[in-house]
Parts: sequence; structure tokens; C-alpha cells
Amino acid sequence: MSTTASPPQSQLSNALARDRLGVAAVVFFVMSAAAPLTVVAGVVPTGLAVTGLTGISIAFIAMAVVLALFAVGYVAMSRHIANAGAFYAYISQGIGRPVGVGAAWLALLAYNCFQIAAYGGFGAIAQPLFKDWFGVDIQWWVLALVCWAITAVLGVRDVAVNGKVLATLLVAEIILVVVFSFSDLFSSDFHASSAAVDPGSLVGAGSGALLAMAITGFVGFEQSVVFSEESRDPRRTVARATYISIALIALLYGFAAWAMISSAGDDVIGRAGNEGPDLFFNVASDQLGTAAIHLGHALFLTSLIAAMISFHNIISRYTFSLGREGVLPRAFGRTVPGTGAPKNGSLAQSALGLIVLVLFAVMGWDPLVQMFFWGGSAGGIGVLLLITVTSIAVIGYFAKNPTGEDFWHRIGAPVVGTILLLVMSYLALSNIATLFGVEPGSTPTWVVPLAYALITLAGVLWALVLRSSRPDVYSGIGLGARSATAASTGGGFAAALRGDQESNA
Amino acid sequence: MASSPQLPLADDLFLTAHDTVKGKSLLTPATLGLGLAAALIGELVFWRRLDLVDGKLQLIDDRPTGDPATTAVLDQLLREGHHRAIRDWISFLATGIATDLVERRLSRAGLLIRQEKRGLLGSKVSFVPADSMVAGWPATRIRTFIGRGELLDVPDLVLAGLILGTGLDQHVFLTLDARGRGQLFDQFRRRLPAMLQDLVAHTEAAVGDAVMARRA
Repeated sequence: MSTTASPPQSQLSNALARDRLGVAAVVFFVMSAAAPLTVVAGVVPTGLAVTGLTGISIAFIAMAVVLALFAVGYVAMSRHIANAGAFYAYISQGIGRPVGVGAAWLALLAYNCFQIAAYGGFGAIAQPLFKDWFGVDIQWWVLALVCWAITAVLGVRDVAVNGKVLATLLVAEIILVVVFSFSDLFSSDFHASSAAVDPGSLVGAGSGALLAMAITGFVGFEQSVVFSEESRDPRRTVARATYISIALIALLYGFAAWAMISSAGDDVIGRAGNEGPDLFFNVASDQLGTAAIHLGHALFLTSLIAAMISFHNIISRYTFSLGREGVLPRAFGRTVPGTGAPKNGSLAQSALGLIVLVLFAVMGWDPLVQMFFWGGSAGGIGVLLLITVTSIAVIGYFAKNPTGEDFWHRIGAPVVGTILLLVMSYLALSNIATLFGVEPGSTPTWVVPLAYALITLAGVLWALVLRSSRPDVYSGIGLGARSATAASTGGGFAAALRGDQESNA
Repeated sequence: MASSPQLPLADDLFLTAHDTVKGKSLLTPATLGLGLAAALIGELVFWRRLDLVDGKLQLIDDRPTGDPATTAVLDQLLREGHHRAIRDWISFLATGIATDLVERRLSRAGLLIRQEKRGLLGSKVSFVPADSMVAGWPATRIRTFIGRGELLDVPDLVLAGLILGTGLDQHVFLTLDARGRGQLFDQFRRRLPAMLQDLVAHTEAAVGDAVMARRA
């Protein structure tokens, strides 16, 4: 608890401080979900091909500015509430519990879109590479299933092991993106592109599609607040780490996309369509040689694996948190005692992933555009909507609890951020046809918003059911595992005190 | 078997948390630490040295208990008079202090032996139950009482609560039927003092937070 205000040197404060995280550790964690190569080599070229829009660099920058504004109030509120890692906790307390549960379900769907999208991306990208490297032609869905199995096993095993692997891969990825992008600058075709950074593309047709693509690059930044109670200085560490992560992501992705577009020649959209994710590697190939390209491809695959593991862990913990609070069945609030991994949440995510993979394989749908790009950008839209509602919740929360923060943190930044986010959400939703590269009014353009609307509505209704049938559970929604009364802290013992028999699971 | 001697709460929890065959901990070090921290605080409540009120520890008697482990915690509490939040104390003792104190107490009693494992990167010291029979005592005792429909005493109720709170029930209470569970839960509600209910609930919350923050 943050009640340990600076008394004289104390062993307790020191011991607790030693265990806490600094800015670098939090930034690291956030960036690992952001998976740089997946975005730079996967989302950006596919997005160029599908949407035909090139203003992606400026979209990354614009998104970063808006998210930084949002983060002011978001991080401030994280200091005042428990269970800060989950959007629904903010929304439950700032707007109301029914909307909070609706948002929780929307979040699960959006994060699952991301997670499962990575399977399609891996399959589609690995298939030609395996042919090239090993001379074997394996179906994309077989490769995706292998990844699925790895993720499923790691998900119920020790999470700390995952962390180290992810960290190593992340550093390698960032270095590779930087090296490739700088080498683009020396390409014979290099011609500094103004289209990539043209602010006009943010107000023109298709701006919403650009913004929806850009946000996929940032998803994961919101996880920084998970550590608000674990950080060395609750007032500064998480705030700094969040701003640094947003800035790093914007600069890295914005620069890499600009360098790639600048050195791809006159017809970048045509090349993106023909070469797909290879575009990022091809434009740098004349400077770096084949060894670097192979390394790049290998890291691209591990980046996708890292993304799927990160999102898998985010989802299983989200489910865990909801299970502990009784919003989802209590069984989801269980962990493996020997590893602390949220077992049932993990298994449920794996089951869903398997169903979608099999569906795509059986129906013969395209793994790169329909699974990876559509899935990823649909997830991006979902997270954008969540951030927008959370931003409103921050204003609502500080209107009710105005103590402890100044005007800028409580009202100034959240109001400006909310207005901009509302505009962005509107643009993204109205540009879905451009984003997906389909005819306006065709099936995918209404399926995505409808799915989000239905699942949110279902969550709201479920909250109302809980309010009348289980008022004790209802009152604990969004309070996390930290509330003061013994009977509402979640988990098996608390359920036992309440007399729940379903905790037997 | 139900007549097996009852050890101090934290010792019983330590033994319960270790595999009776291989002596390996069934919990992550972080979760074990949280459970043992709460158990030592619970022992001080039994010694009538502490109360838990509104999430804060209240010192009601500062005389040593005669037991080195709990006395060490009590001394620390006396030195750190400005810190009283229960969650801070659970987190603090869980940084290795509680595990260390309990391991030493059990070693002195001859119930644990020090085991050195040589690996590639130096050797690793761990404490394992000296006797697999002994390690199984506390869990067997609780199951036997519940099986016979008898009442558990308060320390065993707290032990059972911590077993649930740390997730150990997935090993220990696996064989318990719905009726046995119902009886146990009923005893939690009716026979466990509110102070101790809160202690277990705070521990369970701390375990949950550790999972969310990827420390577990």
C-alpha cells in the first residue's frame, strides 16, 4: 500500500523497495507485448497493400500524442484504485459496474483478436520461409498449430521463464529494426517520402483506417499500470515508463515505416501487395546481404511468437481477475500452485484459439489478410474503443473523487484526450471498409462493430443479473483482490466465507 | 493418525506445502513466502501479542514469546512502529524472511534437513522434510477431522484457510467431497474469529495480486 510515506530508514521500506520495479523494467515489459517486428514488417506492409494508404508514420505520431494525453489521467487514476491492470476496473469505478463488465468482455474479445491474429501471421509468413530454408512445404495452419501448442504449454507453465526469453528477443528485434531502417537510408532507391509523414492524411479519406492500424502498434502500453503498486516510486515510475514506452514505440515504428516507404521506389503500394511482409526485408537487402535477411526473418517469426505469448498471458490474467471477482466462473480465478500461472484462463484462451485456427483451415480463409491483418486491426479498434470509454471513466472518477491530483491530471488532459479519442473512434469505425480493403457495406464491415456491440451488451446484461441475484459479487466488481472486507477479495477462501459452492472447481 | 502432534501454524503450513515424496515445494517461492508470513502473524495472534483491526496490526503485548521465530517477527514489529498495514507486513515477511525463520525452526526440531544440490551453476541449498510421514501429518490430520465430521481447532482452521488461499487445496483437498467442503466452509464462517478471517483473506488477496503482477 502506498501509505508507507517516507519515515526514517526502515528495514521494511527498504526490503519492499528492493523488490520493486524501476522505469526500465516496466518499459521492457510493455514493449514485449508491442512486438516491434510484427508491427513494422507485418502490420505496416500488409496495411499498405490492403488500404492503399501511405500516411502511416504520421498516424503513429498522432496516435502517440493522443495516447500520451490519455495516459496522464489514466496513470493518475491507477494510483487511486486497485486492480489497475484492467480497463474494466477504471470503467466500473468511473462510469458504473454494468458498463465495466461490458468493457471487460469487450476487452477479452479484442485481446483475443490480437492473440489469434498472430497465429495466422506466423503461419502465413513461416510457410514460404520454411520452403526456402528447409525445402519443405508445410500448410500454414500446421505451422500455426505448432505455435498454438507452444503457447498453450507455456501458458500453464512458469511465467518467469517466458519473461526472460521475451526480453532477449525484444532487444534483438529492436536492434534489428533500427539497423534495417538505417540501412534503408543508404539504399539507391532512397527518396525521402513526404507521403508517410503528410499531416493531411490525418484529415483525408481513410484517416480512420490509418489510425486503426497505428493503434495496433501501441496495444500493450496500457499494461504499464499493472505495476503501479510494484514500482519504486508510485507517483513517478509508472508515469515515466508509460510516456517513454509510447514515445519509443512512435519513434521506432514511425521511423521504420518512413524509411521503408522512402526506399521502396515509386510504387510502394504495388510492391507491398506483391511482396507482402517481405517488403521490409527486401528494401534493406542490397545493403545488408542475405545473412541479415535470414536473421531478420527468423526474428520476425520469434516476434510473432512473443506477441502471441504476451497476449496469451494478458488474456489469462484478465480472465483470472474476472474469475476472482466472480464476474466469470470462479474456476477462472485458480492458478497452478507450483507456478502461479492462471491455469483455467490460459486453457480457455487456448481452446478458443484452436477453434478459430481450425475454422480458418477448414474454410480455407486467408491467414495473412483475413486472420492476421483483419484480426489485428479489429483488435486495434476494440482497444481504441476501450481506451475511449476508459478516458471518459477517468473524468467521471475524478469528478467524484477530486482529491490528490491537480487540475491537469484530473480534468485538463482527460477532457482533451477524450474528445480526440471520440473523434478517432468515430473515424476508425466509419473507415472499416477502407481498413479491411473491402466494399463498403460488405460483411466484415458490420460484423466487427456488431460483435463488439453484442458482447458489450451481453456484459452489461450480465452485470444487471449479478446486481439482482448476487449483490455481494456485484458490489465487488472492479475492486480487485484488495477490498477491505474479507468476504469480497475473490479466491477460494473468500468464496468459502460467502458460502459459494461453485468454488469446488 | 489424528493424534499426530500439532506443530506451530507456520511449520504445519511449510510441511503441507512440500511434496511428501520428493520434498519439493508445491508452491512458488513467492506464494510460499506469503503463506508463511501470514502464518507467523497468525501465531502472534494466538500468542495474544497482536490484533488485526481494519487491515492494521495492533501490538497488544510486547513480551517475547519464547519461540525464536515469532519473537524475531515481534522484534521487527517493535522496531518499525510506524508501519502497521497488514498487507505491507505480509509482503515484507514474504521477501524470504518468513521462509527463512520457519526453515530454521523446523531444522532445529529435526523435521527438516538441509540439502545441497550441485548443479551446473554452483550448488543450491534447500530444506526438505526429514521424513515424508511427518510432512504429510498436517494435511492428513485436517482431512481426517473433516472426514469424521469433527470440529477443527482454530489454528487448524487458519491452516485450512491458508491452504485454500495459497491454492494448495488443489493438492491437499483433492479428495474432499462436497459434504466435507461444505462442513469446512461452514466452520470458517462460524468458528473462525473475524480477525483471522481477515488475515487469511488478505493473504489470499496478496497471492492474487502477485499473479496479476507476474510475481507469483
